[in-house]
Amino acid sequence: MRTALDVLYRLAQALAATCLVAIAGLVVLQVLFRIVDGARKAFGLDPVGLLVPSLAEICGFLLVGASFLALAATLRRGDHIRVSLMLQHMPAGLARIFEVWCLLVAVSLAAYFTWYSGGQAYDSYKYNEVSIGIIPIPLVWPQIVMTLGLVVFTIALLDDLVTALSGRKPSYELAVKGEAWEGGE
Amino acid sequence: ETKWDMPTPYGDSNFHTQNIMTFAEDVAAKTNGSLSIQVHSAGSLFKHPEIKNAVRKGLAPIGELLISRLSNEDPVFGVDSVPFLANSYDSSFKLYQASKPIMEEKLEAQGLKLLYTVPWPPQGIYTKKDVNSIDDLKGLKFRAYNTSTERLAQLAGAVPTQVEVADLPTAFSTGRVEAMITSPSTGADSKAWDYLDHYYDAQAWLPKNMVIVNADAFNALSAEEQAAVMEAAAAAETRGWEASKVETDAKTKVLVDNGITVAVPSEALQNGLKEIGDVMTAEWAESAGEDGAAIVKAFMD
Amino acid sequence: MDLSLVAFFLGLGMLAALATGIWVGVALFGVALVAMMTLVSAPTGPVLATTVWGAANSWDLTALPMFIWMGEILFRSRLSEDMFAGLSPWMRNLPGRLLHVNILGCGIFAAVSGSSAATTATIGKMSLPELKRRGYDEAMAIGTLAGSGTLGLLIPPSIILIVYGAATEQSISRLFMAGVLPGAMLCVLFMGYVVLWSMLNRSRMPEAEAPVPFFERVKATRRLVPVIGLIAGVIGSIYAGLAAPTEAAAIGVLLALILSFFSGTLTRQNFTDALLGATRTSCMIAFILAGAAFLTVAMGYTGIPRELAGWIGSLGLSPLQLLAALTVFFVVLGCFLDGISVVVLTTSVILPMVEQAGLDLIWFGIYLVLVVEMSQITPPVGFNLFVLQGMTGHNIFRVARMALPFFLLMVLAVALIVAFPQIALWLPENMLSN
Ligand code: NA
Ligand code: NA
Repeated sequence: MRTALDVLYRLAQALAATCLVAIAGLVVLQVLFRIVDGARKAFGLDPVGLLVPSLAEICGFLLVGASFLALAATLRRGDHIRVSLMLQHMPAGLARIFEVWCLLVAVSLAAYFTWYSGGQAYDSYKYNEVSIGIIPIPLVWPQIVMTLGLVVFTIALLDDLVTALSGRKPSYELAVKGEAWEGGE
Repeated sequence: ETKWDMPTPYGDSNFHTQNIMTFAEDVAAKTNGSLSIQVHSAGSLFKHPEIKNAVRKGLAPIGELLISRLSNEDPVFGVDSVPFLANSYDSSFKLYQASKPIMEEKLEAQGLKLLYTVPWPPQGIYTKKDVNSIDDLKGLKFRAYNTSTERLAQLAGAVPTQVEVADLPTAFSTGRVEAMITSPSTGADSKAWDYLDHYYDAQAWLPKNMVIVNADAFNALSAEEQAAVMEAAAAAETRGWEASKVETDAKTKVLVDNGITVAVPSEALQNGLKEIGDVMTAEWAESAGEDGAAIVKAFMD
Repeated sequence: MDLSLVAFFLGLGMLAALATGIWVGVALFGVALVAMMTLVSAPTGPVLATTVWGAANSWDLTALPMFIWMGEILFRSRLSEDMFAGLSPWMRNLPGRLLHVNILGCGIFAAVSGSSAATTATIGKMSLPELKRRGYDEAMAIGTLAGSGTLGLLIPPSIILIVYGAATEQSISRLFMAGVLPGAMLCVLFMGYVVLWSMLNRSRMPEAEAPVPFFERVKATRRLVPVIGLIAGVIGSIYAGLAAPTEAAAIGVLLALILSFFSGTLTRQNFTDALLGATRTSCMIAFILAGAAFLTVAMGYTGIPRELAGWIGSLGLSPLQLLAALTVFFVVLGCFLDGISVVVLTTSVILPMVEQAGLDLIWFGIYLVLVVEMSQITPPVGFNLFVLQGMTGHNIFRVARMALPFFLLMVLAVALIVAFPQIALWLPENMLSN
């Protein structure tokens, strides 16, 4: 079970990173096309007019993938921003109660959001919603990716909630923190 | 008392938005305040791409959008953007009447009710250099933002180029784009004289904005309120079409006053554009199937 | 219930949620959800999904992860070390020495990036570790960065000026030009403060380095070539017409990868670490932005910002009083909403007042950006604070305290452009004459 969950989080993160690579790749390709056309013009040739169709829209969709698929991994690495000032200065027992409270709020919100995000994807499918640019892209695809990212996020929050309830430290508390100036707080 | 939130895409000084403000006041007056409309302009509640769905899902009972944004969904919504099919206010109104029943039917299938439409001023060609014939467009980087503008650029032998609206000044200044087709309003509002020199009043097409209402929200109104909304909508349509004509002259004058060379296309250019228009009308009618044929037939009669 | 009371309780709720340790993004979603469910009749769940989809699916936003990725690559190359080594012999006589790198670095990078979070993240990733290693004062290093990161919004290109220009139908090229001199002025103010501070706090500055002979200095300067090449490449790609400002960010990634390859630091491990680091940092920011977008729409439905702005309009103030009131209003609102949301939510109500007061709309755009910049460094919702908490591990309130002097300098900058509107208007009026 543990291994399966960890693989899930890592897989989602890898897909998110792939989305970023794809954005960079497509944009660089578009710029290369402009350079090719510019060079042809300089030599008196007709421009080819190469373009990456619907570049802006596709990159927007890829960004949705990058942002949502990484939610779980970002949580577990402790990279989502919170102010844990009070938590660190209260007795351990009380801090644990607050930790559970935070996770409860987050998991209910994430579940709520997942449900309606799924509803939105289904609606786009039912009404055959498409993007408006040169290539009509069915919106259901990026919206499914957004929903899947939220599903994995909800699972990760549940995972940590169970951990916190059983008295252990949640994943983000154990993560190696980024290099702080004097060891952070 | 009912309060409707109304998302609209354009800023407060835009003539569409101002017409909507009057429409909202009209509705409040006609219903003695039992129905009030709060306009959220400039995409401040929902942005342009989200407005149709927001109204369809009842997140906002009423909203405004550019009709041809839906042309990938159904070619019928693209009829007012077929180049040189209807290129004057009169023929544009005729085309609107010809396409209205089918458009209403398509919207109704999504639980939407069409209240009224208002056209933008006729679309003309903006360029950095002189254009006297179709050949002068050849090789120019021409702004394309959907299938129809891409096709137009291709047929003109220009290079279709994707540029986002906010990026236009930078794109023109740095040479990433050299020509675009849009209305005198958009040109004047975006201060086109900061980055280009020529405007050709080609009257290519008159795209329309539409105001739509969620059918459930509309049906929930009392009979008197419904009548008041329809009356105000009819008035807004008449007012809007007139305002659009005024806008065309006013904004063309703004272009002239700010040093843009405004001209009617030469005969050679006009003929070249007409040929492209014929090709695209045929292509559009084919893509729109029976609906398209019916609209063209009703329009030509 | 009175709307201002509602606003007060929502603000209090947000602070309470944050104090109990709830993640910033979650707190924004939570507060917005409560506001929607209690005050608005529109269906909350679908509004949530639609809004977040609309905000997350954004072309302009793609520049942010690209720039963050670029910063992560450079951080793992020797480039930042080289840059500091090349600059240090030249700056040893200027009080404040390498602290100025933060300000100038942000100022130059702002000419590429339209967002303040991207500016802060990219420059900070390179400069903070170097400044730390060289023994500079932490509060000053972080404070200068938080403050000058906001230049991303003022120096063109700027996302917020585009939003303002579109909403008010002002020329974007004029707005961009109007931002240049105030941006430079802000740089000078920040650098002046660093000079003063370092003369008054000599004990908190690291030991001065031994004087370097002129020839050695020139030799060290060669180490600046890669970073200058990178910046020139990215800015150049925009002005040569090869890339849109949004696209230039991806060019930055490509150039950073090339530099990293030639400096021999582009290992498989470094590549993966940089990419995953960028993925998570961008995700953190996107999650908060999504929450902020939902809160913005919730506020749009409740009409609270509109109501408050309308109330200011009803006071019948003189132009100066109006500007003072608006500044306070924007700063308070900017504590809880992000800057662009503040502009979007209030322009409709505020613009007529501004026009009536006879203020120039281009000038007002620059004023607005300056005020909105402040909101980037005011807690609890300030994006530069989030970036810096992510980078340093210090909580946002502590970072905000370090940034406070720079906040006050921005207040001074606002006063200066009110007193001398030509700082903003001279360039657009004289560069574009027709
Ligand atoms: Na900038
Ligand atoms: Na703030």
